[in-house]
Amino acid sequence: MSVPDYMQCAEDHQTLLVVVQPVGIVSEENFFRIYKRISSVSQINVRDSQRVLYIRYRHHYPPENNEWGDFQTHRKVVGLITVTDCFSAKDWPQTFEKFHVQKEIYGSTLYDSRLFVFGLQGEIAEQPRTDVAFYPNYDECESVEKRIEDFIESLFIVLESKRLDRATDKSGDKIPLLCVPFEKKDFVGLDTDSRHYKKRCQGRMRKHVGDLCLQAGMLQDSLVHYHMSVELLRSVNDFLWLGAALEGLCSASVIYHYPGGTGGKAGVRRLQGTSLPADSGNRHRPGALTTNGINADTSTEIGRAKNCLSPEDIIDKYKEAISYYSKYKNAGVIELEACVKAVRVLAIQKRSMEASEFLQNAVYINLRQLSEEEKIQRYSILSELYELIGFHRKSAFFKRVAAMQCVAPSIAEPGWRACYKLLLETLPGYSLSLDPKDFNKGTHRGWAAVQMRLLHELVYASRRMGNPALSVRHLSFLLQTMLDFLSDQEKKDVTQSLESYTSKCPGTMELISLPDGLNLPPVPFTKLPIVRRVKLLNLPASLQPQKMKSLLGQSMSTKSPFIYSPIIAHNRGEERSKKIDFQWVQGDVCEVQLMVYNPMPFELRVENMGLITSGVEFESLPAALSLPAESGLYPVTLVGVPQSTGQITINGYHTTVFGVFSDCLLDSLPGIKTNGSTVEVIPALPRLQISTSLPRSARTLQPASGDEISTNVSVQLYNGETQQLDIKLENIGSEPLETLEVTSKILATKEKLYGDFLSWKLEETLAQFPLLPGKTATFTVNIKVKLDFSCQENLLQDLNDDGISVSGLPLSSPFRQVVKPRVDSKPANPPEGSKAGDFSHVKTLEAILNFKYSGGPGHVDGFYRNLSLGIHVEAEPSVFFTRVSTLPATSTRQCHLLLDVFNSTEHELTISAKSNEELILHAGECQRMAIQVDKFNFESISESPAERTQFTNHKQLEEERQEARGLEINSKLDIHWNIISFGSVEGILNQLVLEHLQLAPLQWETLLQNPSISHMLPTLVRHFPSYIIGYKSTENAERFSYTAK
Amino acid sequence: MAVCIAVIAKENYPLYIRSIPAEHELKFHYTVHTSLDVVDEKVSAMGKALVDQRELYLGLLYPTEDYKVYGYVTNSKVKFVMVVDSSNTALRDNEIRSMFRKLHNSYTDVMCNPFYNPGDRIHSRAFDNMVTSMMVQVC
Repeated sequence: MSVPDYMQCAEDHQTLLVVVQPVGIVSEENFFRIYKRISSVSQINVRDSQRVLYIRYRHHYPPENNEWGDFQTHRKVVGLITVTDCFSAKDWPQTFEKFHVQKEIYGSTLYDSRLFVFGLQGEIAEQPRTDVAFYPNYDECESVEKRIEDFIESLFIVLESKRLDRATDKSGDKIPLLCVPFEKKDFVGLDTDSRHYKKRCQGRMRKHVGDLCLQAGMLQDSLVHYHMSVELLRSVNDFLWLGAALEGLCSASVIYHYPGGTGGKAGVRRLQGTSLPADSGNRHRPGALTTNGINADTSTEIGRAKNCLSPEDIIDKYKEAISYYSKYKNAGVIELEACVKAVRVLAIQKRSMEASEFLQNAVYINLRQLSEEEKIQRYSILSELYELIGFHRKSAFFKRVAAMQCVAPSIAEPGWRACYKLLLETLPGYSLSLDPKDFNKGTHRGWAAVQMRLLHELVYASRRMGNPALSVRHLSFLLQTMLDFLSDQEKKDVTQSLESYTSKCPGTMELISLPDGLNLPPVPFTKLPIVRRVKLLNLPASLQPQKMKSLLGQSMSTKSPFIYSPIIAHNRGEERSKKIDFQWVQGDVCEVQLMVYNPMPFELRVENMGLITSGVEFESLPAALSLPAESGLYPVTLVGVPQSTGQITINGYHTTVFGVFSDCLLDSLPGIKTNGSTVEVIPALPRLQISTSLPRSARTLQPASGDEISTNVSVQLYNGETQQLDIKLENIGSEPLETLEVTSKILATKEKLYGDFLSWKLEETLAQFPLLPGKTATFTVNIKVKLDFSCQENLLQDLNDDGISVSGLPLSSPFRQVVKPRVDSKPANPPEGSKAGDFSHVKTLEAILNFKYSGGPGHVDGFYRNLSLGIHVEAEPSVFFTRVSTLPATSTRQCHLLLDVFNSTEHELTISAKSNEELILHAGECQRMAIQVDKFNFESISESPAERTQFTNHKQLEEERQEARGLEINSKLDIHWNIISFGSVEGILNQLVLEHLQLAPLQWETLLQNPSISHMLPTLVRHFPSYIIGYKSTENAERFSYTAK
Repeated sequence: MAVCIAVIAKENYPLYIRSIPAEHELKFHYTVHTSLDVVDEKVSAMGKALVDQRELYLGLLYPTEDYKVYGYVTNSKVKFVMVVDSSNTALRDNEIRSMFRKLHNSYTDVMCNPFYNPGDRIHSRAFDNMVTSMMVQVC
């Protein structure tokens, strides 16, 4: 007795063992088809009695176990069914011979046997034989079940006769001593006449009868026999058999208490097979006693219920029986099986603690050297039993041990597949699921060390199984979920092996389905690298689409008639949380910024990192990056091009790390910050690129309104110079450029600017439109610098004081007094400006040219783009009029304007006024030039603007007038200067010249009777005041108007 | 005297586990892990008893060839498991009990630390020292 049957349960004690075996060459498939049909007949109601016979079929049974048949009759093979193929009558004798040989093996214990022959037809097959059945083939054998039933009935007859025979044997004088194989030699030469010996024989026989009764379906009788046997054997200290008797008692009681069975699946099948519910089963069994099984001993059946053990007693008796068995080394298998049976009973009783004690004991039962396969079987069954009593961890432990046993180094052909399968079964016990989603919730809580070990084993087993995809999956899982628990060295090792696996079989995002129905979900590496923040970036300012104002207004008004409503405000707030308030443009590269960091202690190479989107066709342009070891937050920009319009949602990103493809969805990432992931993509717009004839400037303008400037140009000009700026407009997009609007904005400056700073003509450019992709158009802008450089205060002061004296026209003083406060009110001029002679003072002017353009489908939808060009001009002073004075000319309507001209440049320049010839000025030279000019009457020009702006205050009015006068002077004087080395430079005369050229505000006209003497007027006025009949005066400032008589 | 001491959270994951010698760490992990089955069983059996009169000490969980595993469960279902060398016969039940009580006190101190997040692994030096003292004491 060496091979334990771990599947045994208490009910097996009442079964008859029938071995079904193939003889000759029978295909496994056919055999098991027949075997299945045979074994479906597992219980038989014996005719005209209510006793039920249970059959246990085995297709394999070691003969040495059969030798223990006397000890426990359910171990005895009582029936043999052989299945064979035989196709010709010629083979028949040989086949029949084989059947006999087979019979010999179990011969000593067989009650009956059958031979099923398939394929043989004809003469032999027609002979009616009880022990042989012929079937033409495996499909036409309807009567198999019937045959089996007949066979079982014949077994029953033998059993019943034996039972009766043995039961009445005791009246005979000699009872044979039943013994187990290893006892045989112990009893040689023993006194067979002693009382002790007789009692032993009696006790053993009682037990045997009990077994037979139990098998024959007479439960109560068997209980009685067992009880008697226990008493007899206890008195002679026959421990092995006492144990057997106790176990028999337990089995019978278990059968009584738990008609549903204790043996798991087998029990269930039995329960389904029996049409009798538990209660009726109990009702029928006592009825067994009413049958013709007349037995002298049944008289002791008074209080039959008492004979049955209570559930608690069953366990006690099992314990006792096992302790007796344990006295015999050779009965190890019996002890082990008893333990297993007891555990099954306890599992039903839900007494896990005691069951675990039995199991603990079973673990320590030392059988002879077990083969590897037996070890695996043993560990598996232990695991199953632990599972049964709810000890999942223990179960997992033993299953893992079994798995390791499958691939023990001593095994020639390691069963990696079996090992892997067993390992998978241990997963629940270690509360490990292979779904990475379960690990996303907070920190990992579990037995990391144990789980890691298991994962390593899974990886190794799957690799040895020859399934690299599986090992990659497991290894990725290990890396992803156990990252926090891996040491630096382990991280290195794991990634190295992962890389070597993926070189053969890259990791995918597909679900791996195992044959046994388990699915391995994909493992995205959300921790390699860890993404902390996802931010959708707006397009660069020059490419940002903007909505036309009018259309925007419309869309706003359709939304709601209310300016404000709390409900709508709420909705908007919600929308904003998901949607971002900028747009992306179809066909333009859009960016998403991720803040990532590398938790690994080495450089992490992330390849093929791209975006996963939905809603819009999106061409993702993958990036590759390399993150330094344990980097801090590191910005990564992923780009892509939307190919259609609509709402685009960024769902996540994909990476390839260590050869494993991962799709990481943002929803499943813990602790990620995002500013929303949905953005609108609007139809394509053209793209404009501008290049200018001027050099680019490193300086960037800081516009107040916040819009950014894409290009900056800078230029250096002398005051009064005009520069042409050629702007090349190139459509670098894929849509035609249809409209263009140009506006300029001069940035706030303290300098007073005369004339148009920037001027252009758009018509010429627009004539080239629409601008097809790749085409260029030119656009010309004139930059003109006219600044007042004469504001150096002390310089002015000199000039003015001097001017008064020189001009000798004190009558003009009222006006002067008006002007002066203006000059004095500017003491805040830059300090360097107040230094006399600091002519190198450079003034800057800045302006922005805005190009609003649109075209293509985006234009239809009312979007445009804005491109800004920053212009930075440094104006240098060129010519100073350091001193202005006038000399009266021959006519009062004319005067000589004397200008001290100073050349502050480093170049030679020529100056010309309207009539004079050119004056050459060398660098830093100052010369005086005189121009004869008519004095002006500003009345006519200044009047009309004064009327227009009557609501503006007086000061403004004054300034406006001054400006108008300045222009007038300019056109009259027409002073030009030329820097020879630079070409033509036009200048303006500064404002100061004005007062010298103005007609005296008090103007008089002498009215004479004889106009012909008008040339003598000055003399007349001096010498003949009485001739003056009156004068008329006009004054520019109204308050001074009066008339005198 | 103890070769392994573990603190297990209510949800049956380890809060603290230490063993000597360190090279057999995994083995002790397995031992403690499987012992939780018994702890669970004992606790569920005890659940029926009156809560306030419950004995926190669970006694011997199971013996293995080389070790004995003892268990203790606090009222908040935090489990302490101690593995003791079975050759150490000098150790009585009472001593084990007092060791558990000490362990419990020290654990309570850890919980009192406002910076400790219940459910996190225990990284307390005081607790560490106490465990070390229990491990070395006799051996």
